[in-house]
Amino acid sequence: MSPSAYVVLAAILFTLGSVGVLVRRNAIVMFMSVEMMLNACNLAFVAFARMNGNLDGQVVAFFVMVVAAAEVVVGLAIIVTIFRTRRSASVDEPNLLKY
Amino acid sequence: MSGVLSASVVADTFTLPTIDYGALAPVLIVAAAAVIGVLVEAFAPRGARRPLQLVLVFGSLIAAFVAVVMHAGIRQLDGGGAVAIDGPGLVLQGAVLLISIVGAMLMAERMVDPAGDAFAARASTLPGSEDERQFSSRGFLQTEIWPLMLFAVTGMLLFPIANDLLLLFVALEVMSLPLYLLVGMARRRRLLSQEAALKYFILGSFSSAFFLFGSALLYGYSGSIKFGKIAEAIAGNPGQNMLILVGVGMVAVGLLFKIGAAPFHQWTPDVYQGAPTPVTAFMAAAVKVAAFGAILRVFYVIFGGLRWDWQPMLWVIAILTMLIGAIVAVTQTDVKRMLAYSSIAQAGFILLGVIAANPAGLRGAIFYLVAYAFTTLGTFAVVTLVRDSTGEATHLSKWAGLAKTSPLTATVFAIFLLSLAGIPLTSGFIGKFAVFTAAIEAGAMPLVIVALFASLIAAFVYGRVIVLMFFADPPADPPAVVVPSAFTTLAIAISVAVTVVLGIIPQPFLTLLEQAGVFIR
Amino acid sequence: MEVTTAAGGAFAYLWLLIGFPLAGAAILLFGGKRTNRWGHYVGTLAVVASAAYAVILLLALMGRSPEERTVVQHIADWIFINKFSASIALQLDQLSMVFVLLITIVGSLIHVYSIGYMKDDPDRRRFFGFLNLFVAAMLLLVLADNYLLLYAGWEGVGLASFLLIGFWQHKNSAAAAAKKAFVMNRIGDVGMSLGIMLIFVTFGSVTFSTVFDQAGEASDTTMTWIGLLLLLAACGKSAQFPLQAWLLDAMEGPTPVSALIHAATMVTAGVYLIVRSGPIFDQTIVASTVVVIIGTITMFLGAFIGSAKDEIKKALAGSTMSQIGYMILAAGLGPVGYVFAIFHLLTHGVFKANLFLGAGSVMHGMKNRENMRRYGALRAAMIVTWLSFMAATFAIMGIPPFSGFWSKDDIIHAAFEHNIIIGICAILAAGFTGFYMTRMLVMTFFGKARWEDDQHPHESPPVMTIPLIILGIGSIFTGIGLLFWGNIETWLEPVTGFETRELAIPAIVLEGITLLVVLVGAAVAIAMYRRSVAVEAPKGNVLVRAARNSMYDDAINDTIAVRPTYWLSRSLVWADRSVIDGIVGGSAAFVGGLSGRMRRLQSGFARSYALAMLGGAILVVVVMLLVRLP
Repeated sequence: MSPSAYVVLAAILFTLGSVGVLVRRNAIVMFMSVEMMLNACNLAFVAFARMNGNLDGQVVAFFVMVVAAAEVVVGLAIIVTIFRTRRSASVDEPNLLKY
Repeated sequence: MSGVLSASVVADTFTLPTIDYGALAPVLIVAAAAVIGVLVEAFAPRGARRPLQLVLVFGSLIAAFVAVVMHAGIRQLDGGGAVAIDGPGLVLQGAVLLISIVGAMLMAERMVDPAGDAFAARASTLPGSEDERQFSSRGFLQTEIWPLMLFAVTGMLLFPIANDLLLLFVALEVMSLPLYLLVGMARRRRLLSQEAALKYFILGSFSSAFFLFGSALLYGYSGSIKFGKIAEAIAGNPGQNMLILVGVGMVAVGLLFKIGAAPFHQWTPDVYQGAPTPVTAFMAAAVKVAAFGAILRVFYVIFGGLRWDWQPMLWVIAILTMLIGAIVAVTQTDVKRMLAYSSIAQAGFILLGVIAANPAGLRGAIFYLVAYAFTTLGTFAVVTLVRDSTGEATHLSKWAGLAKTSPLTATVFAIFLLSLAGIPLTSGFIGKFAVFTAAIEAGAMPLVIVALFASLIAAFVYGRVIVLMFFADPPADPPAVVVPSAFTTLAIAISVAVTVVLGIIPQPFLTLLEQAGVFIR
Repeated sequence: MEVTTAAGGAFAYLWLLIGFPLAGAAILLFGGKRTNRWGHYVGTLAVVASAAYAVILLLALMGRSPEERTVVQHIADWIFINKFSASIALQLDQLSMVFVLLITIVGSLIHVYSIGYMKDDPDRRRFFGFLNLFVAAMLLLVLADNYLLLYAGWEGVGLASFLLIGFWQHKNSAAAAAKKAFVMNRIGDVGMSLGIMLIFVTFGSVTFSTVFDQAGEASDTTMTWIGLLLLLAACGKSAQFPLQAWLLDAMEGPTPVSALIHAATMVTAGVYLIVRSGPIFDQTIVASTVVVIIGTITMFLGAFIGSAKDEIKKALAGSTMSQIGYMILAAGLGPVGYVFAIFHLLTHGVFKANLFLGAGSVMHGMKNRENMRRYGALRAAMIVTWLSFMAATFAIMGIPPFSGFWSKDDIIHAAFEHNIIIGICAILAAGFTGFYMTRMLVMTFFGKARWEDDQHPHESPPVMTIPLIILGIGSIFTGIGLLFWGNIETWLEPVTGFETRELAIPAIVLEGITLLVVLVGAAVAIAMYRRSVAVEAPKGNVLVRAARNSMYDDAINDTIAVRPTYWLSRSLVWADRSVIDGIVGGSAAFVGGLSGRMRRLQSGFARSYALAMLGGAILVVVVMLLVRLP
């Protein structure tokens, strides 16, 4: 199977992830969608590494995983705080800042 | 350090890149101080934390600045090509450090709020809960902000010198993640603050994903993540394909988000308003400098050969940004929100320097950035001082007649606003002039006309506030202007000094920029 | 060819001209309350010192041969960006010299007058600080040797004017007026900044001498654009059509401010800019024609406004507009007119300052009420004010040998040389001047007393009347003095160029016609207002009836002059208020409305922001692909 198929898959996953961010209301699920987008990027990087014949892309993928993990820590901290304050993880509810 | 990350590995050979630790000293010093700060939080007794942290923060920032100054002559690629230490990079690093020092002064202020500083005693307590009251009344201060700030500064120092896509991504995240947290830590109006943090985080990570996917496409196109190699690939292959164009676009999205360009700007007003004001000041100034540094490098170095492709796109973005920022600012009633929209418009003006894509544009943009950064620090610093019983009195109606109760504060704020409006003899004018002439030179006359039109609308916004402060009657319950400690006083004094000095004698700084030259590959 | 000499001898301290008032402003504004007691003396002294030095400079300049009268003092390098450079350098030549004299001497008199006028104001110190700041900025404007520095002064006078219009903060209208002035001036500034940038891009320099030397080399289109942009700037600052509306509102400021800034000096900066940029306008027939047209329109517009306003200061503001219209018209004529534009500017600076200070003196004695319908018969109560006001009135009407006669007549003459229609317009406007000035004079000083019950008119203190006397004498003699003793034409010629053309009509006939038209205007005004003036301003349909009522016994009553004039002036004022103001106010409202709509997009929902970002990302990618497509 040619590596370009993986790139297409990555693009599909990325699109799905971004749609997820747009349609889901729960902060955790939105956040998972973002993670899915990041992982789509990882897949693209790895596929391109294979196509280009060097390892840069794979190295990047590892670093993205680390960064994503750090992002989880920060993100969950914020989401949990919001949840404790509002008893809800909906991103539509905090809506005081507008216009 | 980061060199390992991006070392090219071909088949089974692995060459360890050489790293000149001396040249990276500014980043390393701040990063080390941040780590030590975490240890201080873990092991030092509560009472000793604040003094220790302050010593760490100011010590490391000043030391890093000294290191930048000592490296002034260095022009080299380092860490196996992952970082490019060159003139513009060093100037931007120096600017970030100075801005951070002033920003740290604002964050260290404890006199203006009777309850302590601008940050929640414990960010984990529920707003309005008994816990919160207790922590607050016992005078607890949150000192975790300091290591967080230093980590953000680390990211900002790396951002404008990163010379490969991976390091750029890592720097972006190292810069952003601590800021997401800092935004959510306000002592007062915590619901707003937490909401701002959530929005900033969600949208920020969303934009990072775009950036990363764009990077992947660029990598797929060129087979390398190094800026220089990508540029070579673009130059060597004039026949374009989708990969590169979409890649450029998506990388641009990630970067444009950070500077608050329309239509990626919508987080800006909410976050600027919700965040603790010292953090707003810090991020409005420093993030913009760092992110524009990265944009300039990316568009000048990697995409330089593609400028006919991306210039129209940036034209659209710049026009949208300038007009939306200026127009929406007209009807704002909250001073922080108004400044946020004005910062959007200003980002649009600076984009003109990017679009110019010539050395004059680079210099103009950096000048504008520095001028804007200090003016912004000053404006938000003044905002922290105007208070009533509920904290900062940010509603504009409260600012009416401020000149009567506190002429000095009003005058200082007016100077900042005049600079933002670009009136001659302030730094804002020289910045605008430099950027606009660069854009005209590059043949972007229509864009400059739009920019002047937008600055006309923006001038109305600033003029309105000045009229309000000087010529309107104070409200029935006028806010008090608090006398701050030396920290904020010094911060405002520095901001005024930079705003005025860069307006009247800009030449030394312009010469410095001239000497700094252009980006290296 | 002109020779530029470096500053030496008496010129070595050229910067002191600006330094004195700037130091004064610094002392007064930063000195705080402790300077309250003596601050106004410092402020006055600073300007007087500048005036004294200006006189010394004049003598030194006259001691040189005409070709060597351009002195440049380089103070500091300012900006170097790539090829761009601008330095802080002052240039004193014949043109700047006359401006410096006008600013410092009239400025000094107005400072002295203000000591009395602002005596009871708790903020007198701050007022003098702002006035000093203004004088410094205005001097910078006329002494700058390049466009960028001129722009700095330009903004400086704008800022000072803005602060002074809003000086009486307790008046709501003052705040609104200040805001309006700020915004309209910014519109002009857009023209200024674009113009300067275009000049730089075209010539690679913004220094006057360099730019003017190369003026012939640029393309016509470029020069036209530069000319139009500079004209826009001039319109903003000099209250010319279509940016004139702020000047009327600016009368909210204290009267000395109206006299100094909004009559004598700042509002004439536009004329200075055009005359200074003469070599540019000489290259472009389009731009200079537009200048003439704008000047002509404003000339009439101002005259109509001046004829219809009942507040004495607003009527004077209308007259200022109209007179500046004359100057702009003259400036648009090219080398034929530059000299006369400046000549009229100088005489106008004196007699208009006189008129405003006179109006201030009247208001001072009338409890600050401005409505002329409530004046009348004041000549007995304030003799000095009356006499000086009368001298200035004759001057502005152009009655020989008062100063306005010489300067205005020259403009009319030049206009005829240029184009007969413009010439006729200029004569007609002179007739209007006769009308509205006589109206003002009659309503204020003659006729029956129509005072409100609590009024006890009295003459102002000597500190105010002495400047009036000096200005009154100036109103009589400035014209003759400048023309015959000062040889203004030959004096300015090296800078502005000067030429005359033969005219079909002999000059004396033209002068006679002009004078006749002016006298007709004056006669109409006397006929209308001598007997009685309605205390309430006539409005709408009542207007005609009221106008008739007030002139029952008069034969001229229903003749051609009265009603059309009245109707025309009223309707033009209406047009000014609702159409022109409407354009500016309307676009402000449009932006406001747009803003209100656009901020709704900021819904506060993170997901809608994300949607906008996704849309933006698609936009970015699509634009990039579209560019590549063809």
